[in-house]
Amino acid sequence: MDPAYYGTQFFNGLVQGGFYALLALGLSVIFGLLRVVNFAHGAMYMLGAFVAYYGGQLFGLPFLAALFVAPLLVGAFGILLERLLLRRLYRLDPLYNLLLTFALVLVIEDVMRLFAGSLGSPYSAPDWLSGATNLGFTVYPTYRLFVVAVSLLICFAVWFVTERTPLGARLRAATENPAIARALGIDVDLLVTVTFGAGVGLAALAGVLAAPNTNVVPDMGDAIIITTFAIVVIGGMGSILGSVITGFIIGVITAIGAVYYPPISTTLPFILMAVVLLFRPAGLFGKSEGAK
Amino acid sequence: MNVAARWPAAALAFALITLSAPRAPVAAQSDTVKIAVITDMSGVYAALSGKGAVTATQLAVDDFGGSVLGKKIEVTAIDHRNNPTDAATKAREFFDNGGDLALDLTNSGTALAVSGVGKEKHKLVIVTGGGSSALTGANCDKYTYHYAYDTYALAHSTGANIAAQKNGKTWYAIYPTYAFGTQMLADFGDAVKSQGGSIVKADGAPLGTTDFSSYVLAAKNAKPQVLGIFSAGADMVNTAKAAAQFGLNKDMKIAIGLLFLADVDALPDVFTGSRITTSWYWDEDAASRAWADKWTKAYGGGIRPTDVQASDYSATIQYLNAIKATGGTDPDKIVSYLDGRKFNDFYVHNGQWRARDHSVVHDMYVVDILPKDKLKAPHAWFNIVETIPPNRAFRPESQSVCTKDW
Amino acid sequence: MTGALRGARGRRVALVALFAGIVLPFVPGVYTVFATNLACYALFAVAFDLLLGFTGLLSFGHAMFWGGAAYATAIAVVNAHLSPLLGVAAGTIYAGLAALVVGALSIRSAGIYFAMITLALAQLQYFVVFQWHDLTGGENGLQFSSRGTLAGLSLENDRIFYFVVLAIVALCFAFALRVVGSPFGLVLTAMRDNEPRARSIGYDTARFKLIAFVMSGAMSGLAGALFALNNRLVGLDVVDWHTSGKVVMMTILGGIGTLYGAIAGAGLFESLEYFVSKTAIGDKTNIVMGTIFAIVILTARRGIVGELLATRTPPAPVPEAEPAPLEAV
Repeated sequence: MDPAYYGTQFFNGLVQGGFYALLALGLSVIFGLLRVVNFAHGAMYMLGAFVAYYGGQLFGLPFLAALFVAPLLVGAFGILLERLLLRRLYRLDPLYNLLLTFALVLVIEDVMRLFAGSLGSPYSAPDWLSGATNLGFTVYPTYRLFVVAVSLLICFAVWFVTERTPLGARLRAATENPAIARALGIDVDLLVTVTFGAGVGLAALAGVLAAPNTNVVPDMGDAIIITTFAIVVIGGMGSILGSVITGFIIGVITAIGAVYYPPISTTLPFILMAVVLLFRPAGLFGKSEGAK
Repeated sequence: MNVAARWPAAALAFALITLSAPRAPVAAQSDTVKIAVITDMSGVYAALSGKGAVTATQLAVDDFGGSVLGKKIEVTAIDHRNNPTDAATKAREFFDNGGDLALDLTNSGTALAVSGVGKEKHKLVIVTGGGSSALTGANCDKYTYHYAYDTYALAHSTGANIAAQKNGKTWYAIYPTYAFGTQMLADFGDAVKSQGGSIVKADGAPLGTTDFSSYVLAAKNAKPQVLGIFSAGADMVNTAKAAAQFGLNKDMKIAIGLLFLADVDALPDVFTGSRITTSWYWDEDAASRAWADKWTKAYGGGIRPTDVQASDYSATIQYLNAIKATGGTDPDKIVSYLDGRKFNDFYVHNGQWRARDHSVVHDMYVVDILPKDKLKAPHAWFNIVETIPPNRAFRPESQSVCTKDW
Repeated sequence: MTGALRGARGRRVALVALFAGIVLPFVPGVYTVFATNLACYALFAVAFDLLLGFTGLLSFGHAMFWGGAAYATAIAVVNAHLSPLLGVAAGTIYAGLAALVVGALSIRSAGIYFAMITLALAQLQYFVVFQWHDLTGGENGLQFSSRGTLAGLSLENDRIFYFVVLAIVALCFAFALRVVGSPFGLVLTAMRDNEPRARSIGYDTARFKLIAFVMSGAMSGLAGALFALNNRLVGLDVVDWHTSGKVVMMTILGGIGTLYGAIAGAGLFESLEYFVSKTAIGDKTNIVMGTIFAIVILTARRGIVGELLATRTPPAPVPEAEPAPLEAV
């Protein structure tokens, strides 16, 4: 097999890794501050894709605009859910919110199915991104390069905001010790709400990016959510760096691994997760609060 | 010790459980002929079969007159939710309460499960929607007929048709690595070879793969004459989408193993130009068009029936005819009546209820998917390029692995 | 276990439940095969409650044991030609061994991490079952031709099989009751309520958790094997993560930490799902079940039996705390 083929596979891995990173990032950020494992993350991803689809169908919403509109709309929906429902269970074991979000998945996906059916809604990349680009060693679809670029950009942006801005500092403070953060005058409740909305918005963004390449169906989140959980656990729940790096690594490894043994791509994340947890129960980049 | 207070709670729980338990009529009425359409009402097969199948079956009953031999005919819709255990339990309950025929079974897992129930209880099962060739092979049974299509017929129609042409000899296959996929690959391989072609490379992808770009790219680089997509459902759609994205439909012919009208309705641009096989097409002739109009009027929404829905109508009429001819619903008598019988209707051309393995064979149609701008009418996506007679489409009796024990 | 269900009172409730179980298949309109499924799910939920309600561990991959055992039983019968009841034993043993492996891997983690690991490992088993279609039938599943015999009694009759299963479930339930009331069970509860303190007293909490996990897994496996035998088939639905979610919902609906709740929850949930899917809104079954579960989580998370018990004043002379399900971290 020639190097060009591996090069292409590497890029395919980056594309898939980009999706994993965006989703894992949102999950991780939400868990870090809220201690909520958002089972409905996959459903939010799906909603993002459908906002793009219905936006295009009903309002002629162009793809680029959808990249902004979908995260905003779905983020707002997420904020609504957080304020009305999730908030009530914060004082309890986080497992209750996990179960609540699990129930929400059932409802959201089924309601979507009533509107959109189960066969798929057609969505394609915009014309200005279609076609292929010559990368030197191969000709690669332009849209996929766009996906890689956007995911890297957004991941960097999130990292930058969390690590280098005052807002991020407040977020990290609230994550470490909400009581003292409140005492210092940080509006933790607002941060929590905004963070949930942002995390969910990230998922929706991933959904819009996925729509041209993937079948847009109500259960499109089901397949990717479990793998995303594995990635977040490997990277360390609550660690932004962990989620992003692990996401891209898993994407690339599974893409290259699939060349030799295809079934590996679905099972590898879980095998890796089991291995990582044996040696580092809190994940690669996690803080050791995972082992109680 | 507050003993008295506890009984209401226990009684309440008990009442709740029994009240919410499924109801069943107490006595099995033998003065009604009961047909159950067991299908997926809300999931991935709802458009292919679903409520439209129930409509088609009810149409058949109405057209037959609503009764046979003085008995009323009752059509029940059962949602199997793509869960074989659920399907089997509900089928069992149906049969135990006087059910006579289980019909449709779109989703091979549920088809096999209910076929097993029919075998156990000696009740008739006619599978139209499920496509596994195991139904007339390793899992064949006296009381099960496989009516509409199976994976062998699809492969040998599409595969042979394309491979017979000069520019259809070299194939690249992308298939899913579960039983259905490997079977499709094997069947297509045989069909293509029989016409002097060959599958140059076969790439297996695990179920649930969403990103087929690497597979499609490898196919593009291999420069075959034909790309065979042998997956189903979301995997098939994602492969076809990737193929379209990388421009494969300009370089080679795309053959899709399993595709239905409903899929094209949902995603027309993805499948343009692909070649598939269907057991029936609503616009194939005047008789079909007339029936399709009747169905569309009954179902509403302006959409057109799929071949699976049409097959339910056809199978129901044939079954009711068999009841009339044999004087009752006795499954053994009906099987003796049907075995070997040749027949025709708007759905089945050159049809026969094969005695050897209970495969109901008939003409199959190889069609191309038309682009949106070439449609003669809404939903008229297919262009029939060849009609394959049953002796070429279906597995020859001599090759059947059915250990016929009846 | 609260004082409300101990002693003579507990015995009376148990007798009522047993009576209900005996009478169930004779109630007009109840389909026997379905009733047996209910009994299997009840056992599954009881096994799950042992782990969740009494040890405080939420496993999101319990379908691995229920379904894995179902498949092991099917494979033993169909491929290895064992008698069906030996197959059930094989299935239960498989589930116990799987629980040992999974438990050893996951016990070091707690809370969310534990749930995620169990979910992921269950997914691994799902993919293996799916891919290895020569052994498992893949997406087509496996079918049994017969349920075999028990001490000469043929199990083909649905009613007879129901009572055999009921007897097994009753025995296992009695066993579970003994376990939670035993010193071992009390240690589990202590660990659930405050693990560091339990450890500081000197208990090897990891070992206790593992034993509880294996017990729960094996019992779930027994339930799954009987389920497979009852339906004479296994399909991928038994190893799907949605089934793992189902048993969680059943147990919480009934009331965690009460064991009786598990039975009530399983019965109610399964009946509701079966019943709703047959009605005109059948295609919206998931919406109904999801909404009910969400409401229960938000407003009545002690579940049916839990809420019922909470409305009683415990008569025990020593003031006992209400069973607080899963304390906030």
